[in-house]
Amino acid sequence: MTAPTAANTGFRVDKFMMKLCRVLSLFLCVAALGGLVMRAQVSQPQVQWFQAGAGVELPKELTFANAGGRLGVLNSDGAVDTSGHPFFEPLGINGRACVTCHQPSNAMSLAVSTIRERWQATGGKDPLFAAIDGSDNPSLPQDRENSHSLLLNRGLFRVGLPWPPAQNSNPEFSIEVVRDPTGVNRDPVWGLKSAKPTISVFRRPRPVANLKYVLAPDNGSFNVKLGVLLDKDPATGKPVSMNLMADARAATLAIQAESAYRDHQEGKGQLRQDQLNRIIAFETQVYAAQVFDNGAKDLTEAGGPGGLGPLNLLQETAGVLNSPAKPVFLAFDAWKASTEFRQSVARGNDIFLNRTFWVKDVAHINSIGLGNPAKRSCAVCHNAVMSGMDRAPGWVDLGTTNYPTWTEPKTWNEPGELPVFKLTCRTDARPHPYLGRVIYTSDPGRALITGKCTDIGAITMGQFRGLAARAPYFSNGSARNLRELVDYYDRRFDMRLSTQEKEDLINFLGVL
Amino acid sequence: MKLARALVVVLLFGAGQLQAQNLAFVACPIVRDTKTVPCWLAEYKGEIYYLGNQGGVAQDFYPPQLNHEVLVEGVVGEGPRVCGGVPLRMVKTSVFLEINRACNTILPAEDAIEAPESPARPPTGEAVSWVRWDGPAESTLFFDFDNDFLSLHTSTAVQRLAQYFQQSKASEIQVVAFRGSSKLSNGDVLTEQRDIAAARAAKVRDILIGLGVPQTALKVLLNNEARTPDGINDPWSRKVTLSVKMP
Repeated sequence: MTAPTAANTGFRVDKFMMKLCRVLSLFLCVAALGGLVMRAQVSQPQVQWFQAGAGVELPKELTFANAGGRLGVLNSDGAVDTSGHPFFEPLGINGRACVTCHQPSNAMSLAVSTIRERWQATGGKDPLFAAIDGSDNPSLPQDRENSHSLLLNRGLFRVGLPWPPAQNSNPEFSIEVVRDPTGVNRDPVWGLKSAKPTISVFRRPRPVANLKYVLAPDNGSFNVKLGVLLDKDPATGKPVSMNLMADARAATLAIQAESAYRDHQEGKGQLRQDQLNRIIAFETQVYAAQVFDNGAKDLTEAGGPGGLGPLNLLQETAGVLNSPAKPVFLAFDAWKASTEFRQSVARGNDIFLNRTFWVKDVAHINSIGLGNPAKRSCAVCHNAVMSGMDRAPGWVDLGTTNYPTWTEPKTWNEPGELPVFKLTCRTDARPHPYLGRVIYTSDPGRALITGKCTDIGAITMGQFRGLAARAPYFSNGSARNLRELVDYYDRRFDMRLSTQEKEDLINFLGVL
Repeated sequence: MKLARALVVVLLFGAGQLQAQNLAFVACPIVRDTKTVPCWLAEYKGEIYYLGNQGGVAQDFYPPQLNHEVLVEGVVGEGPRVCGGVPLRMVKTSVFLEINRACNTILPAEDAIEAPESPARPPTGEAVSWVRWDGPAESTLFFDFDNDFLSLHTSTAVQRLAQYFQQSKASEIQVVAFRGSSKLSNGDVLTEQRDIAAARAAKVRDILIGLGVPQTALKVLLNNEARTPDGINDPWSRKVTLSVKMP
């Protein structure tokens, strides 16, 4: 794919931007058009916000500047008329659309920098900051910035889940709120002891792009990690990947869209079938990946690594497992004798694929027959070609949410931004394999769905594409940048990465 | 044919062991780093035994876990030490559920100690410590102690049997789940928890139904009384047998 620029997509983009001007403020338009001019030269910050209901055309190919370079977005079915399109139109009562939290400029997720820009531009009036989940607690005064601190500081939306879980009325553990900085978990209306007992956790929105890789089920019908069958699509009866959401609670895009309509857009009733069909059709044809990196330059030039850019994501086959013949992000050999930066990226790829370290105490990795510890590389778990996810259902307790390896202040009773829950497992339940029967966590993850102790803190791996466009990272937004992400792994697994190795990994991740 | 199969089973699991020394003990596993892949060891009565190498879920040997004790059951092998330990063959390791933080030994790599080349992946469904086939219509699935987890091999075997049921237009699949016990080399006896047979049966039943076997075609039986352990065949007492019946 040739990275589109203002020069080669100018007509369509100019037309698109002019239409956008009619619905955005004058200030935003001036800034946006200024950004377009800049785009042809170097990457510059620009306003790149798709307002719900703006009714603009989304071109087939777009690029968006970000701090690392430029992101490419490819609508493989062609330009999208967003007017009346259910992905882009507000369907519920709060003015949000799907696009509000899945912005093309942010690789169909939402960067915290974009969220802050929206706060500044709208004084917090954008539907993005809707009380229901765009604030720390719907009961707080919504006009105050600090009522939206988790969204503004870490890009986190509130996810309220029923307790006990909808699919297990007899969970294996009890749950107690021991730290509640937002007040929502002890809130008389929204909390655990409300009329509708609810546990609120805070998570990042996952990218709605490159979804054929996210949705491809593992070979066969089984979840090899648990020795049970994969969940099935209720509409088709076919196995699903179980990799769509952080806690794998939605088996399909249709189920996810319905729940997002109710929970995030505060919609009533159900989406119509034609609306669901259009949402899913859009989501499954859009690809996003970095196309230009400030250090590596053009990522899509002929003869370069075959796994970069959205066109390669369109063309490659989903559901392929990492192998020497087909490494996760394909070969970077072409860059091993290129510029210094490209050599660094190629070394980063080699580290990702081959540098072993002791992977230890990771539930649903070490506990599935691989041994604890296992001397492995990143790519053993992040093994799905082109996405870097797990080809098997990928919820694992990496340790980001559970004490003591969590990303939060050292002890649970210190002040912190996230809630902390104390989970106590029944004596007749299988305990968490590495944390036992009493666990402090800021997000129980998959366990809030299954009610199982072995799932406490297990979060589904996310895809690696378009990372430069959508910081921060981890489901709890704790890594503000790729360096902090790499540092977490280095600490967690005592990888002893050198400064150069860290730099190589960061450069590698940044071009994806 | 049945007699021949029985003879093979005796040869595999019985006769060979008459001259061999069976060992069963509970210990903290030990992992030894090497230049290639780590290997897993366990100590019993002052001797180090080699259990197997780190592998993948397609291998027959599933390594144990630090932070947990492990029940080791196997036959003392002959030949030189492997990875610094006396090799055990037909080894079965069962990780205990509860945490034991004292089980935390990682030995560093040493020049003189090398991990053996990992065995080739067994053909799907033919990992001897997980599955035994007695013709296309009868299969036995083996489990770790106090565990209802179906390994890649056992889940694949259930799938194969379900396919056979559907292709052969059979009328019934009989599922019999067993609770096992193990006699340790020190004379102690470990018996699995009371409801383990039911848990195993439920797992297998749910998979068969999910694969399209009608619930009405399933006959599920539980054997909750653990057999008297002998310290030899105990790993093969933790099982579920599957039999496809023709109309």
